[in-house]
Amino acid sequence: MVDTCDPTAETSRTMAEKMIGTGLKDIVRGEGRQMGNAKFVVSNLSTRKLGHFDVAVEGVSFSVRAGEILGIAGVAGNGQNALLDALSGEVEAHAATAIVLDGQPLGQLGTTARRKHGLCAVPEERNGHAAVGDFSLAENTILTARDRMSMVVMGLINSGAARTYTGKVITEFAVKALGPASLAGSLSGGNLQKYIMGREILQRPSVLVVSQPTWGVDAGAAAAIHQALVDLAAEGSAIVVISQDLDELLVLCDTMAVINSGRLSASKPVGTVTVDEIGLLMGGVHGDKTAEGAHAVPA
Amino acid sequence: MQFRLEKRQEPSRFMLYATPVAAVVLTMVLGAIIFSLIGFDGLGAVREIFLTPLINPLKWQDLAVKASPLIIIAVGLSIGYRANVWNIGAEGQYIVGGLAGTGVALATWEMTGWWLLPLMIIAGIAGGMAYAAVPALLRVKFKVNEILTTLMLTYVSVQLLNYLVLGPWINPTGYGQAQTRLFNADQTLPYIIPGTIVQLGTPIALLVALVAWVLMSKSMFGFQIRVVGLAPHAARYGGFSEGKTIWLALLVGGGLAGLAGVLEVAGPFGRMVPSFPTNYGFTAIIVAFLGRLNPLGIVVAGIVLAITFVGGQVAQTTIGLPFPAVGLFQAMMLFLLLAGDILVRYRLRRVVPLAVAEDVA
Repeated sequence: MVDTCDPTAETSRTMAEKMIGTGLKDIVRGEGRQMGNAKFVVSNLSTRKLGHFDVAVEGVSFSVRAGEILGIAGVAGNGQNALLDALSGEVEAHAATAIVLDGQPLGQLGTTARRKHGLCAVPEERNGHAAVGDFSLAENTILTARDRMSMVVMGLINSGAARTYTGKVITEFAVKALGPASLAGSLSGGNLQKYIMGREILQRPSVLVVSQPTWGVDAGAAAAIHQALVDLAAEGSAIVVISQDLDELLVLCDTMAVINSGRLSASKPVGTVTVDEIGLLMGGVHGDKTAEGAHAVPA
Repeated sequence: MQFRLEKRQEPSRFMLYATPVAAVVLTMVLGAIIFSLIGFDGLGAVREIFLTPLINPLKWQDLAVKASPLIIIAVGLSIGYRANVWNIGAEGQYIVGGLAGTGVALATWEMTGWWLLPLMIIAGIAGGMAYAAVPALLRVKFKVNEILTTLMLTYVSVQLLNYLVLGPWINPTGYGQAQTRLFNADQTLPYIIPGTIVQLGTPIALLVALVAWVLMSKSMFGFQIRVVGLAPHAARYGGFSEGKTIWLALLVGGGLAGLAGVLEVAGPFGRMVPSFPTNYGFTAIIVAFLGRLNPLGIVVAGIVLAITFVGGQVAQTTIGLPFPAVGLFQAMMLFLLLAGDILVRYRLRRVVPLAVAEDVA
């Protein structure tokens, strides 16, 4: 399929539509959604620096209500990975109450226990972190969905249940794969990302934390992932999206905060915040004068 | 004409099973050539080593006796190797397992009862585990490479064995010969097929392989081992601790090597002697890889290696081939197998000007 056009006469949207061959769907959000009470509360969360080039997070606090999507913007390498590891449970917090979901302190639980409580997470790196390339998709499903989707009975794997759930992810998220037995490593990056997002979203977590949800995914698939996140929020889940893509965050999120040098700014409703303001925060310039220079290290 | 290696999109399942067979066949071909060149009857050597033990039914019981410890140890090693834990000191864990069983046997020498043998077996497993716990602790706490520690502890265990059989454990009625007393009837493995030398160790080996196969392919234990070995970062994300997995892998490997040790000392040996270390622990590394780290494949591979041992003894008497030649054949097999492994993930293509390449593999 070849098409020609005059770039000056096209918008990025019409260009993207030409590339994927169909019209882009708009994200449909329930107007006038009722946000519930604070569901997922993080207070004063800090991590230790693991390696020389590692950026730790320091005193991060935010709260997400049921039905809310919080976006965390920031330039790559400002502590996004440390924040995700601390939220997912790969790294434990100093205090159990640093991470609270529906009143339950989760700060000192591991990833498995946090998932059982309804907190699921998707890290940025797909191969070797969110998925094992040498494992089939069904085995990758067991990696994170085994408890919430009852795939293990007395230490034995119910591979039928894993295949069925994987098949559901493949169909509902339009993953291009031969089937649950395909190796994760044989999928294209975009399709693997759709599979990973589907694997977590279809578990219907109460809180979903995702990093770079649409990295390297074509515009059509990105829209489908965005819609799935919005739908999940509409069901009353609290969602945290960490992304470097400002456009994505502005379209998707209800509130936004910015991470810089491991510190998180206060979150503000998306309608009230300007792109300029976010840009300054991303560069390490904090708006309120009193705090300026106190801990802001220019990137 | 040029060749080029091309990465396959998915590892070839055909090659996964074909390369071990090819390695055995190539070993026979190359072995025949090498031994002919150095003045032996090369074809005869290959026939005696690889075929006679299979064709002659009288040798089958020898195969069972030799294959059993190899299978038990290799199954344990394969679990570790899947987790990227490179325990190459199974020989030491095998010796300490045998010593622990001997210790129980000597302490209960004047007693009788059905419980003696199970107690010795438990002691053997515990001994092997304890000996593997040292490298596990060093690796998890201090990041010491387990390849070095497991290997070096093997030499320590040989010294321990010599000290015990020459000193405190020496047979008081043995005229100073370096060996322990002969175990009593309740401390010795029963023969399970009348009129043969096949003892209880053989069905235990098959049971171990079967249980390990179920655990590795159907249980969360096996899943944990495999995911830690393939992608440590993903394992952490999935909720599996790398340290715990290293402990598990080494304890299982050491425990099974210890089991093999106690079954040998209570079986074919019947007492502890300085010649107890027979390199089963090292040969089992070849068995594990030849069996593709799959417990059922290891049963087949254990029999193949047992054939070379039994055949080596045959060739020694019939055509005067020195016994170390067997080691040469075994090493060649491992070498060819590891070299052939590349064909599982890559295909060999002939680079022809103007496309249309074909499979040469």
